[in-house]
Amino acid sequence: MKAVYSAWNTGQPLRIGAKLLRVHWPVIVTTCILAGIGTATLYSVSGGSFLPWAERHTLRFLVMLAVVVFMATVRLEVWMKLAYPVYAVALLTLALVPYVGVEALGAKRWIGAGVISFQPSELMKLALVAALARYYVHLRSDEVGRLRNVLIPLAMIGVPVLLTLQQPDLGSAALFVALGLSLMFLAGVPMRYFAFGAIVAIAALPAIWSGMHGYQKRRIEVFLNPGTDPLGAGYHITQSKIALGAGGIAGTGFMQGTQSQLNFVPEKHTDFIASIIGEEWGFTGMMVLLAIYAALILMMMLMAQRCENRFARLAIAGSAMTFFVYVFINLAMVTGLVPVVGVPLPLVSYGGTSMTTLMLGLGIAMSAYVHGRDGRH
Amino acid sequence: MADPPDDERRRRNQFTRRCLMLGGAQAAGFGLIGLRLFDLQVRDAHRYAPLAEDNRINLQVLPPKRGRILDAFGRVIADNDDVFRVTITPSLARDVGAILRRVGHIVPLTDDEIAGIVTRTRKKNRNLPTIIASDLSFEQVAKLNLHAPSLPGIKTDLIWRRRYRDGAALSHVVGFVGSVEHFGIDDDAVIRIPDFRVGKSGAELGFDADLRGTGGTLKSEVDARGRIVRELEKVDPVTGRDVTLTIDSELQRRVVERMQGERRASAVLLDIATGHIVVMASVPGFDPTNIAGGISESDWATLLGSGDEPLLNRAISGLYAPGSTFVVVTALAALDAGVVSLDERIVCNGRYEYGGQIYRCSNSAGHGSITLHDAIRSSCEVFFYAMSLRLGIGRIAGAARAMGMGAVSDIGLSEAKPGVVPDPDWKRGNLYAGWLGGETLLTGIGQGYVQATPLQLAVVAARLASGRAVAPVLRKPAVPEAGSGAFAELAFQAAHFETVRRAMTAAVNDAGGSAAKAKLAEGKPLVAGKTGVSDTSAWSGESTATRMAWPKRSHALFIGYEPADAPRYAIATVIEHGGDGEAAAALASDILALATDRVSDERRRSGGDSGNVPGVGAGRDEAG
Repeated sequence: MKAVYSAWNTGQPLRIGAKLLRVHWPVIVTTCILAGIGTATLYSVSGGSFLPWAERHTLRFLVMLAVVVFMATVRLEVWMKLAYPVYAVALLTLALVPYVGVEALGAKRWIGAGVISFQPSELMKLALVAALARYYVHLRSDEVGRLRNVLIPLAMIGVPVLLTLQQPDLGSAALFVALGLSLMFLAGVPMRYFAFGAIVAIAALPAIWSGMHGYQKRRIEVFLNPGTDPLGAGYHITQSKIALGAGGIAGTGFMQGTQSQLNFVPEKHTDFIASIIGEEWGFTGMMVLLAIYAALILMMMLMAQRCENRFARLAIAGSAMTFFVYVFINLAMVTGLVPVVGVPLPLVSYGGTSMTTLMLGLGIAMSAYVHGRDGRH
Repeated sequence: MADPPDDERRRRNQFTRRCLMLGGAQAAGFGLIGLRLFDLQVRDAHRYAPLAEDNRINLQVLPPKRGRILDAFGRVIADNDDVFRVTITPSLARDVGAILRRVGHIVPLTDDEIAGIVTRTRKKNRNLPTIIASDLSFEQVAKLNLHAPSLPGIKTDLIWRRRYRDGAALSHVVGFVGSVEHFGIDDDAVIRIPDFRVGKSGAELGFDADLRGTGGTLKSEVDARGRIVRELEKVDPVTGRDVTLTIDSELQRRVVERMQGERRASAVLLDIATGHIVVMASVPGFDPTNIAGGISESDWATLLGSGDEPLLNRAISGLYAPGSTFVVVTALAALDAGVVSLDERIVCNGRYEYGGQIYRCSNSAGHGSITLHDAIRSSCEVFFYAMSLRLGIGRIAGAARAMGMGAVSDIGLSEAKPGVVPDPDWKRGNLYAGWLGGETLLTGIGQGYVQATPLQLAVVAARLASGRAVAPVLRKPAVPEAGSGAFAELAFQAAHFETVRRAMTAAVNDAGGSAAKAKLAEGKPLVAGKTGVSDTSAWSGESTATRMAWPKRSHALFIGYEPADAPRYAIATVIEHGGDGEAAAALASDILALATDRVSDERRRSGGDSGNVPGVGAGRDEAG
């Protein structure tokens, strides 16, 4: 067992100062830029005021930033040992939601215990990446392709997917699938399984449709034809498109948005914050935003490349993938490419839950980068 | 178990390859988003852009007016005030200061006010309107609109503001409205209108669905500046429905006036025949108009932080151990089970021993040899310790539930609490412990875990007085219910009810009665009732209750009905830290006096025919 950890157990243990030097600071700076964009936009959304959102958003980010830097100094071994237990806890709480959960907006997603309430599906986003990364640590490359070693990770993904679909939380379920499958892909599961899976998935589409909730079906129908219900479920998409269109190439300017500011865009400070950015900063601003996210994800994938340890590689790649999936689903939703599913824009949208998840994931990735890297160059 | 080095190298190469493939997929995803944004923002921008040169169609949601809340006699409790406002939109006005000075000729504005508005507009988005003044007269609005061409950016609008006629007296019953905090994706479009108000508590919340109304829509063609060129299609909003309550607002106002002497208290007066809640009072209260009109944060914090909890509707959310008022339930259960006879005497020497513990009586000297009738009249706990032991917790709990305790009395208000009727199942489920024998004794005299709201206590009194399953009603049904005696008979024998009623009449009217303070003035109908003391800490006995400091004092309770021989009203009063039950009995007496005065007032005013006073038929039969 010891040999597995050899990558970071040989040689002297790292001192705290050395650890801080090994942190990938450009990534940290990029997250600060993103959170700054969030603060500025929230300031604008509330009509030029740090209250009620911009101030709390900034504070929350700074606290989480400190947590990330702290997590980076914790030995990777610790995260690896925690992976399975945390996954078990996440699974258990997820299974308990229907019995003890708090219902909000027609879906039970929260578990409440007085002041402390959390969404088990958020914990699962971290736990799934860590547990899958942990699973592949001990597999030799010829073992990865065995059916048994494909079915177990599939079950690790499938059970939380089924549990979240029951809540119902389409967004999280989609996220688990995307995250889990891409980790399996990166871990080296043979291509033939993915080809086979794609065929099965297409064949199963009609069954999935009939298993969906009424409101989910309606959202997809409205998505395909938003004109049918301009004041109901299609409202979001239509208003968001108008706001984006109002921005044009150059945008209306900071704090000069009309559509979004005049309360036409619902959820403008959370899931639909991108439509405000799109209106005020235009196509140019959106391209810059997309480029910042692309740079962040690219830097993290390169971080993974430099790691010798398998757990580290997959944990970093998983965190990068989480960012990508969030950004993609959110922007696709805001631009009307996919139905409204309720996924925030990472680090920019107001809301503590997604920020916590993303930053904790980044913390683990950073720890992996600090401790799992080859040699000491 | 370490992998051979070449295997590790192969895997790193594979990882790199797959990262590249995944990265390619990610790039494709971002490319798709970029293309879509290009479509929306550059290529097709004119189709979506609202500020494009072409006119476009605008769809606006028109807010409905909120329904009124009326009392039992059609008096208005809550309605809407029309408020004319004038606003300025800086992006249209250009020179805000100059325009404001011109507006100042019509609506008086001081230089300071103008300067203040100018600073406020600077801090905001230039496209957002800023309110210049509200509560304009119709004349001012007409003048402003007349001069509109020379006042760019100036707009008048009409909003409604909720007005509560009775201030604090009805605060908890009527509740208040406030702005929407969260809304779901599939909610009614109306509540997305900025400043739209929905019910937040009391009747405003409980009957919100009816009061709210249905929004209308206005489809119009607007120009590049957002000004309406012509209306295309208009669906008028539908005003919300009026809600009529069973409350007599005038009587309630007088009752609350009387209760101002108490720090925290509540009272419920029920019409026994119909179950109508005539009075539901809780002090301290608050002024709902203040809250609905947008309360300042510090005022709100004061309301929330006050130890007296003025926002709490004690009548339906206050939970109290019923104390000795509960022994009427225990007595009924004992008679029904046949574990006691009317002439059986039990000796009370001020204390009762069970399981090695001493349970005390309110009279530490003891009541001596005492019957059931006298035990209710003089409030003897020892007698009911013995009864509880004979009955067991199951039969006590069963009787309490039959009398209306332990479940929410659904009157449409979401604040109503269910209270507690404890039994072994309840204790296992909530406290994770087994039932102890001594807890049966405490339950039997209304202490320990048993808890009830004043409304539930009034229901107990009403059910006892009528022998029927009276259910409280706060909202008058649109169609008056047909026939009397709509409530089903309770399963207890009529003779047993009669026994308890006689004892309660004696408690108020006998020389040595424990509830003598509840008596009305000479010549007025007789009252029947029972006092109670709700222990706030350890069981201390009623005699010492008044001598203690206020926060340590016990709560005073009273349940009763009037007239004793042909019951019309049931009442429950609770005075927190009121000491012994006498204070609550005195309050009940005053409220019943006000209620009987109301009946004679109404009769005089309507020349003997008081058909519109609810349930007066019963009262007249008895008087005639």
